[in-house]
Amino acid sequence: MLRLDEVTVEIAGVTVLRKVSLRVPPGGRIALIGRNGAGKTTTLRALMGLLPARHGTLAIDGRDCRDMPAHRRAALGVGYAPEERRLFGSFSVRQNILLPAEVLGLPEAEITRRVETMFDLLPELRELAPRRAAGLSGGQGKMVALGRAIMVGTRAILLDEPFQGLAPALALRYAEALLQLKSALPDVAILITESSPELLKPLVESTYVIERGEIAAA
Amino acid sequence: MSWFSDNGLLLGLATLDGLSYAAAIFMVAVGLNLIFGVLRVLNIAHGSFYAIGGYSAASLGLMFAARGLPAWAAFAALAIAAAIVGVLLGPPIARLLRRTQHQEPVLQLLVTFGLFMILEDLQKLIWGVQPIVFDRPLKLLGNVDVPFAGDLIPFTRYQLFVLPGIAIVTLVALAWTLRRTLFGRMLVAVTVDREAAISQGIDADRITMVTFTIGTALAALGGALSSATASLVPGVGAQTIVLSFAVVATAGLGQVEGAAITALLIGLGRSTAIYFAPELEVVIPYLIMVGVLLIRPQGLFGVIETRRI
Repeated sequence: MLRLDEVTVEIAGVTVLRKVSLRVPPGGRIALIGRNGAGKTTTLRALMGLLPARHGTLAIDGRDCRDMPAHRRAALGVGYAPEERRLFGSFSVRQNILLPAEVLGLPEAEITRRVETMFDLLPELRELAPRRAAGLSGGQGKMVALGRAIMVGTRAILLDEPFQGLAPALALRYAEALLQLKSALPDVAILITESSPELLKPLVESTYVIERGEIAAA
Repeated sequence: MSWFSDNGLLLGLATLDGLSYAAAIFMVAVGLNLIFGVLRVLNIAHGSFYAIGGYSAASLGLMFAARGLPAWAAFAALAIAAAIVGVLLGPPIARLLRRTQHQEPVLQLLVTFGLFMILEDLQKLIWGVQPIVFDRPLKLLGNVDVPFAGDLIPFTRYQLFVLPGIAIVTLVALAWTLRRTLFGRMLVAVTVDREAAISQGIDADRITMVTFTIGTALAALGGALSSATASLVPGVGAQTIVLSFAVVATAGLGQVEGAAITALLIGLGRSTAIYFAPELEVVIPYLIMVGVLLIRPQGLFGVIETRRI
């Protein structure tokens, strides 16, 4: 489903990823583990087309997407929840969640179906829906970012350090939601980055370790 | 009380002048604001759009009159000129500035300043340096007596109704678009966080291009509307862009309603100075700006940010 072959990425002339190769099969749950600055976020951003790959190939669903404009990832069914959540503060939670589906021009019925599926997985968002995103706590924001990624992530969802900064109770709830996601949407591939492998053990099938921009173990 | 009765007429004139001046400045400042939002480049050449809009409207209006077109064509000339300037200049300049988006801000400023100089010379090449007058729309509508503090102030209907009216329609249309339409939400999303917007499937380049064209057309419309009230001379673009910067900085970035209120504040401040302390005319807008920024560095109307914790 997601495939990186020998991808090299530079930021401001500094090589941040070196020949990174990684595969996420359809419906697969894969973890990318590494310390801060190892290149986890860069790997996800490169997959999303937000950073250009200097060398190597990137493919989503078998389609070469190295030169594809970044915004077309959503149309390919890839949802992305960045570490910083990146919600739009002046919008309500509902508007944040609906935005990618509306941008894709999905029919009303399909949007409703996806929202209901997402609310079943993350029932707490139903209550938060009318609230302004600017007023959410960090943990609530992470939940909303996950909900938003689920809305378009019909083929793959990329989660960047979802447990970072979550209170223990919320981290457990988040992990529970991810487990439910696995059974509710078995065809959706998930790539999760994290600095500690322990948290992800029950959630993923295999793990890649990234160190200083290179895959150290798979 | 005696001061007020002695100066009522001047105060009334200052208010009416300030209102119509604020309307024109708002059109330029709101476009500048929208463009800065999506592009993060402070476009000095934006003042040229105002000037070229004015010159084009005057040329088109004079051409329509020479061909014996009916009176209303003078008003159509204003709108047509603004649309043409927006469509012709907006997309290519947006494309050029997009290339500087990841460069140092000082380089971006230099590029837009260079553009401004080129467009200034282009104006002189096309329209020369002699003042151009096109006051047909003003004369067509005639004058009206405005009661103010016991006096009757003769004022042009054009400046009293048309200029502020179009500014209000623009304000309402923009506020409605930003809040109620998908295009508006996409524009806000690109302004707040371009990368997050792209991840949601938004074609940020297209939104930037459309917004830039709208912003350019609004500045050109501001110039076109003003062309009926004052003769066009070289340097009008520079004067306008500096005042628009003052409005945008005072209002705070990303604020449409804020830009309107600030344009009113600065327009009224400037016109009051013209009537009561002409030597302060040039500095009043900047005194207002500095005063506001000292107290509220983010501008009068702050932008909501998502909590980090």
